[in-house]
Amino acid sequence: MNIFDIIGPVMVGPSSSHTAGAVRIGLISRKLLGEPVKKAEILLYGSFLATGKGHGTQKALVAGLMGMEPDDNRIPDALELAAAYGLDVIFGEAALRDAHPNSVQLKLVGETGRMLEIIGESIGGGIINIAQIDGIATNFSGDYPTLVVHNIDQPGHVTEVTSMLAHKSVNIATMQLYRSNRGGDAVMVIECDQEIPKESISWLEHIEGIKKVTYLSLSEGGTLQTNKGKGEKYDDISFNK
Amino acid sequence: MMTYHSISDLVKLSDEKKLPMWQVILKADAKERQVDEEDSMAAMKQMYQIMKQTDADYDKELVSPSGMAGGAGEKMHSYNQSGRNLAGEYIGIVMEKALKTSESNACMKRIVAAPTAGSCGVIPAVFLAYEEYNHMLEDRMVEAMFITAGIGSVIAENASIAGASGGCQAEIGSASAMAAAGLAFLQGGDNECIANAMALALKNMLGLACDPVCGLVEVPCIKRNSAGAVNAVTSAQMALAGIKSAIAPDEVIDSMRRIGNDMPSCLKETSMSGLAVTPTALAIKAGL
Repeated sequence: MNIFDIIGPVMVGPSSSHTAGAVRIGLISRKLLGEPVKKAEILLYGSFLATGKGHGTQKALVAGLMGMEPDDNRIPDALELAAAYGLDVIFGEAALRDAHPNSVQLKLVGETGRMLEIIGESIGGGIINIAQIDGIATNFSGDYPTLVVHNIDQPGHVTEVTSMLAHKSVNIATMQLYRSNRGGDAVMVIECDQEIPKESISWLEHIEGIKKVTYLSLSEGGTLQTNKGKGEKYDDISFNK
Repeated sequence: MMTYHSISDLVKLSDEKKLPMWQVILKADAKERQVDEEDSMAAMKQMYQIMKQTDADYDKELVSPSGMAGGAGEKMHSYNQSGRNLAGEYIGIVMEKALKTSESNACMKRIVAAPTAGSCGVIPAVFLAYEEYNHMLEDRMVEAMFITAGIGSVIAENASIAGASGGCQAEIGSASAMAAAGLAFLQGGDNECIANAMALALKNMLGLACDPVCGLVEVPCIKRNSAGAVNAVTSAQMALAGIKSAIAPDEVIDSMRRIGNDMPSCLKETSMSGLAVTPTALAIKAGL
C-alpha cells in the first residue's frame, strides 16, 4: 500500500471518482489522440449523467481533454477556457448498455482531423479504465505507456508488433487481443514498462493490414492546448470569474 | 523486513528496531517505492503544505453548484471570535478548519484526499489547529503525518477507506482514527497510546452510513468532517489519560470491515436510503 494513496492524491474536489477520475479520462484520451483536441462530443452515462453537474464532471472531462492534471486549479474554469481556446464541446447522453455506472463516451477530432472514439470508466479513488477504443473492447488504466493497434484479423500482426518491441528493448507488462469477428477488425492493447520510440510507432502505421496505431505516452508532458492563432498557451493566462 | 500489515506489526517493529513509529512507516515507504527517505519526507511535507494552502485560501463567498454548501467555515470562525466559544479554543479552531477544507472541496478547490476527498477536512483540521495553537515546528507535524498515513494504510489493507464499500465509517471513521493516532503522538503518547487513540476513535464511528443528498459530497459530509475531527481529539485525550480500548486495535479494524460487508448497498454511497430520500433531499434533487 503506497502511503501517498492514503495521504493524497492532491486533487481539485469534490469527488475522486466523479472529478479527479473524470480529469484522468479526459487527459488519457487527449494523450491517446496524440494531438490537441479540436472538437469533442462528450456523452455521459449513469451516475456521471445523474450527478455529474454537482460534481463538476463535465468541467473535469474538458479540463483533461485540454491537458490538465487532476490538481489543476483551472479545472472549474475549463468550459470558459475551452471556448476561448478553440475546443468545440458538445454534451449529451450516451446510449450504452450495461456499462459501468461512471462512464463517458468521447468522440474526439484532433487539429489535423485525426478521430478517436473512447469509452472511459471511473472505477473509484481516481482510478480509471479505458473500456473501449473505436468500438472495440479494451481494458487498461493509462498508468503505463500503452500501445493500441487496430488491424485486420489475419496472421502475423502480433509478431510484427512484439518483435519491434523486443528489438527496441521494450518489455511488455500486459497484452490483450480482441476481435469483432474472424477476419474482421482486431485490436491489440499492450501495456509496456518502457516508452516506445516515435519512429517505431510510425513504422507500424505503414504496415499493410494495420489500420490504426494509437499510443499513450506518459513522458509526453506539457501538452496543454495552445491557441495556434495567437501562439499563446492558456498556461500563461488566468481566468478570474 | 520493514513491512507491516497491522497495528500490532507497527508497534512490534517500532519496539524491536528501537525506532519511533513514524520512522518505521517512513523507512517502509522509502523501501517500497525505491526512493530516499529524504524524498519521502519532502513528499509528505508537500502534502501538509498543500493542506495549509487550502485552509489559507478558504473563500467565505464560495457556494457549491448545488447551493447546499458554503459559508459554514466563516460562521464558525465568527462564533469562535465572539468570546462565547462553548467547546474551548482548540476544539473551536478544529471545527472551523474541518468545515473550511470540506467546503473548499465541495466548491472545486484543490485539496489533499486524506484518505478520501469526502473526508479531506478531518486531518488538516486537527493538525493545522494543533500547530497553530501549540506553536509547533512544521517538521514535527510532518512526522505525525507519517503516523496517520501508516495507520491509514493498515485500515485500507484490512478494511476499507471507500464509502462505496464500507459506508461513511470507512471514510470519516478512518480519517478520524488516523488523526487521533497522530494527535496522541504529538502529545507525547507512546506506541500503545497511539494504537488506543486509533481504536477509540474508530469504535466511535463504527456503523456510520454513507447516504449523501443528491449523491454529492456535501450533506452530511461537510459537517461530519467537523464531527470526525472533534472525535479524533476526544479519543486522543482518552488514550492520553490512559484509557484503553477494551477491544484490541486490529480487532476494531476487523469489525469495521465486517460491518461494512454487512451493510446494505442502499447505505453505501448509492443515495437510496437515509438522509438522501427525505422529502427535503428529494425537493433539493428536483431543483437541481
